[in-house]
Parts: sequence; C-alpha cells; structure tokens
Amino acid sequence: MNLINEKVIDSYVKNFNFKQMLIYPVILLIVSLLILAYTSFFVQGTITDPGSPVELGMEFQGGMAMIFDSTKTPDQLKQDFSAYPVIQARGYGGDRKLVQFGPMTDSALTEVTDKINSEYTNVEIRQMGEVVSKSLQGQALKAILFSFLGMAIVVFLIFKTFVPSVAVVVSAFADIAFALAMMDVFGIALSMGTVAALLMLIGYSVDTDILLTTRLLKRKGELNDKIKDAMKTGMTMTITTLAALTALFLVSSGSYLFSSFTRIDIIRDVSIVLIFGLIADIINTWMTNLGILKWYMEKYKPSEKRIETPKKRRQAT
Amino acid sequence: MNDEISFYKKPRVLLVLLVLLGSILVMTVSYKNGEINVGSNLNYGIDIQGGSWLQLQLQGAIAQVTADEAKIIQSEFIKLLNDPTIKIEETTYNSITFTTSKQTTQKTIDNFGFGKATITQAPDGGTRISLATNREFAIQRYLENNLKAEIVRIPGNQLTFEIRKTVTEDELNILLKPVDGRVIPPFTVGVSAQTRDETKKILETKLNSLGLKEIPIRTIGNNYLLIDLAGVDINTARDIASKPGKFEIRIQVTGNETEHVLYGTDITPGLPEKDKDVWGVSFVLSEAGAAALRDAAIQYGAVTAPSSHNLIMTLDENVVFDAPLSPDLARNIQSVPVKNLVATTGAGDEGQQKANQLQIHLRAGALPVKVDVLGAGQVSAELGSKFKSQVLIAGIIALILVAIVVSLRYKQPNIVIPMLATSFSEVIMILGFTTLVGFQLDLPTITGIIAVIGTGIDHLIIITDEVLAGGAMPPDKVYKSRLTKAFTIIFSAAATVLVAMSPLLIMGFGALRGFAVITIVGVLIGVFIARPAYAEVIQSMLVEDTSKKFAEDD
Repeated sequence: MNLINEKVIDSYVKNFNFKQMLIYPVILLIVSLLILAYTSFFVQGTITDPGSPVELGMEFQGGMAMIFDSTKTPDQLKQDFSAYPVIQARGYGGDRKLVQFGPMTDSALTEVTDKINSEYTNVEIRQMGEVVSKSLQGQALKAILFSFLGMAIVVFLIFKTFVPSVAVVVSAFADIAFALAMMDVFGIALSMGTVAALLMLIGYSVDTDILLTTRLLKRKGELNDKIKDAMKTGMTMTITTLAALTALFLVSSGSYLFSSFTRIDIIRDVSIVLIFGLIADIINTWMTNLGILKWYMEKYKPSEKRIETPKKRRQAT
Repeated sequence: MNDEISFYKKPRVLLVLLVLLGSILVMTVSYKNGEINVGSNLNYGIDIQGGSWLQLQLQGAIAQVTADEAKIIQSEFIKLLNDPTIKIEETTYNSITFTTSKQTTQKTIDNFGFGKATITQAPDGGTRISLATNREFAIQRYLENNLKAEIVRIPGNQLTFEIRKTVTEDELNILLKPVDGRVIPPFTVGVSAQTRDETKKILETKLNSLGLKEIPIRTIGNNYLLIDLAGVDINTARDIASKPGKFEIRIQVTGNETEHVLYGTDITPGLPEKDKDVWGVSFVLSEAGAAALRDAAIQYGAVTAPSSHNLIMTLDENVVFDAPLSPDLARNIQSVPVKNLVATTGAGDEGQQKANQLQIHLRAGALPVKVDVLGAGQVSAELGSKFKSQVLIAGIIALILVAIVVSLRYKQPNIVIPMLATSFSEVIMILGFTTLVGFQLDLPTITGIIAVIGTGIDHLIIITDEVLAGGAMPPDKVYKSRLTKAFTIIFSAAATVLVAMSPLLIMGFGALRGFAVITIVGVLIGVFIARPAYAEVIQSMLVEDTSKKFAEDD
C-alpha cells in the first residue's frame, strides 16, 4: 500500500490548468465567507448590528459552567438547579453534563458549588468575569490579526516577490476562513483552545505553501516535475499531521473509543480546528497557491518551462 | 564507507544526546537538603493534578496629575470649615496662607491633614492660617478625600500617584477639573510592582498560615495574580483568597457619616476569649494605630458620648463589627492611647461564633489593595488524573498513527526509526526545558507540545524528501546543498509559526501563554538541535543502504 498515489498526482498536474485549479477554492472561499457573514448578521447579530462571525464561548462572554458526571437528563438537571439562574444544561459526551449559570450572588455561588461538589463526581468548574471576558474578546481578535499580519510580513520577507507572496497569504486566509466557517457549521464556539488553534493554523498552514513556492521558484527543473515532487512531500506532511490530529480529536472527544474517556475541551478544540484548517490547506495549497503560481510562472517566467531536466531524475519509490 | 564517521560520533548527534541526557537528569534527579533523590520532577498544572485556580485583579490605577494647590486648599477648606469666604492670601512652594471668617484652632486644622498650620488673627476679625504644604501633598490629600481611597506617591516620579481603587481616567479628570487639574497621560490601570509584590507576599503568608504550603502565586503584569491551589475545592479557594481583604476601622461622626481611623496594618489580632459569659476578640494596636484611635475618639467626641460614636470595622467595605467604645475605655483613652482592646460579640453560642468569625476577619486584614476574583476554576483530583492518563493515551495513539503513515510513505526502517526517534527526543528535550525553568505542565502546554511534534514530523519529511529525492542518497556535496535547501524551507516555516504564536505571549493574563511559550521553545529546539541531527543520522544510515542498492542496480 502506498501513501501517495503518484498516478493521481500525475494526472492532476498534467490535466488541470490554473483556471480549473482556481475555480473550486474560489467557490469554497465564497461559501466560507457567506457562512461567516450569515452568522455575523443573522445568528450572532443583526444587519444593523452585526455580531461575531463565530459563536463566542464562555471564556469570551463570561459566566460560569460546571461539568460533571450525571445520568440525569439535561431537563432533570434544569429542574434540580431551578433555584439558581441556569442558562443552559446539556449533554457533554457520554454521561457528562454541562450546566451553565448566569450571574448570581456570592452566597448562591457558594451554595451551588457545594451542591455540585458534594452530589456529583469528576467535577470541573470554570468561572469567568464578564468584564475580563469582554476585554479578552478584543485581545483575541487583535492576536489573530497581528498573528496574520506577522505571518504575511515574514512570507514577503522570505520570497521578496509580490505574486508568490500574495498567493501564500491568500491561501492561508482561505484556510482560516474555512476553519471558522466549519466552526459555525458544527457549532464549535470560540474558546481559548480554538483561538490557540487558529493562531497555530496561521503559522502552520503556510508550511506546505512555503515548500511549494520554494521548490517552484528557487529550483531548476521541469515545472510539472517540481510540482509533483512538492505535492508528494506536502501531501505526506499534511496526511501525517491529520492522522495525529484525528487521534487527538477522538481521544479528547469523550466516550467514542473507550467508555471511560472523558472530554478534554482544549485538546478537542485545538485538534478539530486544525483538522478543518488542514483539510482546507490541502485544497488551498495544491489548487489556490499552485494555480496562482502556475499562472505567474507561465506569464512571467516562460523560459522555466522549457528547461530540460539536467540529469536523469531518479524514480521515487 | 570506511572513512565515514559513525552517526553517533557526529557533532550534532552528540549535541542531541547530551541535551537528552541533561533533560532526563533534570526530569528525574533532584537535590534537596544534601540528598539526591530520583523520581519525576515534572511539575503538573492544576488541571491535571486536581485543585482550583483563581485569577485576581488588583484594583488600582497609576496616574500623573497636576492641579492648582491653592484652589485645592480653597475648595477643601470651604467644605471642611463650612465657610464659603475662604480666601487664599499667598502661595509659595512649601506653604499656602489663607484667611477664614471662622474661629478655629491649630489642632483642628492639623487634623484635616493638609499640613502643619500656623494660626494668627486676621486684621478683620477672622483667622489667618499658614499651612506648611506643597502641591504634591495637597493633590494627594485632595484625591484621598474625594475618592475615599488610599493614595500613595510613587517615589522618584513627580506628581505621580498610585490610586488604590478602581477609577477611570475620565473620572479622575472630572474630579480634578474644579481645581484646575488634569491627568497627564499615560494613565495606567493597575498598581505599582512594589504594591503588587507586597500584596502577593501578604497573600502567600496568609495561605501558608492556613496550612497550604508552597502555593505558587504568579504575577502577570502589574495588576493580575494567578493562584493555584492544589487539592483545594473552588469554594475554599475563593474563601481564602477573598478573605484577606481590606480591613479598616472607622468611627461614626453623625448618623451614617463615618471617618477613617486606621487600617488592618495597625492591628495584631488575638484569639476569641470569654469574659463573664461575654465573648470577644482581643487585638493589639500599633503605636500609630493607638494614637490614631485616641485622636479620632477625642476629635469626634466618642470620649464624651461613646454611644453615639460607634467604632465600625469593615472588611472590603462590608461592616463586620459595629459597637460603641465601652464607657471605661472612653474615659481611659482620653488620657492615654490604649493599645490592647477587646471587641465583644455577645454571650452564648452565637457570641462565640461571631467572635470566631471576627477573629478570621481581623487576621485577614492588611492587603494594601482590594482584589477582585476575575476568573476561577476547579478540576477534581480524580478528573485531573483521568485527563493525565487520557492525554498520555492520545499522545501514544497519535505517535502510532504517525509511525504508520510515515512507514507507508518511506517503507525503510532506517528512515522511519530515526524520524520517530527524533520526534521523541524533541518531546524529552521540551519536557526537560519545562522542568528546568519550573514551567507547569497543564493541558494547554501539553497541547502545545503535541502541536510542536506535529510540525516537527513535517520538517523531518521535508528534510528526507529533499536530500533523498526519493530514496537514494546523493554524494556528499549534493547532499550538503540539498540539506541547505531543506533547511531554508524549514527555517522559513518555523519563522512563520514563531511570528504567528507571538501575540499570545502578550495576550490576556496568560491563559494561553504556556501554549505559546512551549510552541516557541519547541520549534527552536526542533530547528536548532533535533532536526539538524536527524539530517546527519539519515545520511549515515542511508549511505550503507544506497550503496547496496547501487550495487544491485549495477
């Protein structure tokens, strides 16, 4: 069994021109942006007062959540805690339940905490002040923005040419847009974990783009050969990472693999966002970025194409 | 072949082995009290070992302000003396002279705290008062009186004050406007590093005295404290952290109006005690505290009419004790400052309970600034250990899957094994680093390690594909140039990750700082230590293999 099917790569590189390469990612990007706009205008806010393009988690909204083991249904739990301002109660994978509370007095807070700690097992409690979480919101947005700008600057410094740099930055942007849109579709809220993952994605998703661009611009050889080699390496990279992330996601999601497992939010958040991002990255590196680069090289460096391979290239295993 | 150095003798590989050995030593061996101990030195976070954490904000602001001291004296004494005719006569750099139509004494003026007064009769029948004061002092008093907060001058900085209360720049500007004053930007929310450290130290002592040893309190910026309390549930954590509040004794002037007498810093609490069936808590005042209590008792008339001038004790502005001076004490205090006092709480069980409560409150005094609980969390110990084992399982499964994927791609054990070994060595080196700097391994940090390993494998794939061009090892010269190319890509990729993660280093109060630090450190260890060694290892490993291959081909 081979990890990389060279025939598929061969026929893809041979048969797709840059227009065909670009059409799918453009559609994907537009759909992603539409989902984000829809969420911002119709779910999180209104046309006149747009909200966040992704649902904000508790860390960015403030409040208190308690997660614990219980065989009761969410409705039963709501009944149980009816003396306190319950905002929501829901299942949290297997027997785990999450109950979220609104603001309450200090004594009520102590009471409900004592109740949960004495009546339930495997208790996890998170509390976040409203003011802080609001300021965190702004900081998260800034962090993502600065992170993206910093990445773009580094990319420009690396390649020092406009079009190839823009191609990398656009691909990264499309990756992030897709990951955010998928968060909306699958109901994953913006949390510390997902913000970390988005930043990670900004730095990480350009790896394959840098590989592709360096191989294509800075190396001699026949263009399609260089593309095929780059694709083999790049696909191996992404598949390896996806395999590891899938393992992380399954194990941290709770009782999918073993019933004794419990959900670990931060790992689950990071892995799922990176999985979305890397799936988009496959498309954006090998269609968006490659499409733009192909167009650029055919237009500005036509000589490249005709250079014959200097030596007999070794066959890859 | 024979002139090749074995891979384990190459400098970069030796470096990795050295760092690995160091990391393992750091992780397993500790030296304490002249004894060498072997055991895990890994430092787990609260979310793994179980316990609670609190994020505290210190309430305060630091501002440089300016104002007209003459206007301050005028406006304040109009209120204090209830005399709208106050007129400023002369202002020098260390004194302000003004006249009032009222008759007053030097003592009264001194007690207002604006400076030492010299009093003479004014020609037109009123009083002429010369105050030894300056602009800085006048502003400080003005802010103290109007914000009802402690104001501390920051030494070395002209007219810069630490306001130990939540206040905004706008509020301060509005307050200063009537006295021709304003805030000179920048206005900083937070307290001075000194105040922060003082608060931290007091909290540490309080927590230690409650039997919680070695509680790590981390400071973030000048106004955040993070407290991790292992093995303690969140309610207990909230209690102990919020109990060391700001303790104050105030005296009733008239009705609801009270005046400050002294802070918790001047109090040494004793124990609850019973005297003729009546419970109470004894406490000792410092010299300054006793003097302040005496002065206040005399000034506001508590000596003569104790029952209409109660002593009120507040903790974080909540009244915890409210009672008059005993008639005996009221008489005594007039002649001599009293240092040993008892706050009585009543008879019976109720009195005893109240006494116990008050004693806790008294002991809890002395925080220089008020703290707010911003965020809190709890993970029970059983859940923490569940997380720990599950993370370990996740890591192992991820590693196995990665091994399968790279095996499918490369099929040669002498590529796959060095690759996985390199990744594994990166994990050990990162763990060694975290132990060395006393970094906590919490869930975000572990997630960061896993993320770094992910990018690490990618870089190893880049090196492999680049130098081998599909399985054959080129001659040394070609190998070197290909390696350079591989590292150009790797360094570029690493640079983008470093830059992308860096905003997290300064963001927020560090919820994700561990993640960011570990990612950055991990990437640096990877690109500078582990991955160059991998390149050397596979060169040695594959020379043998390819020479065989070439022979077969021939």
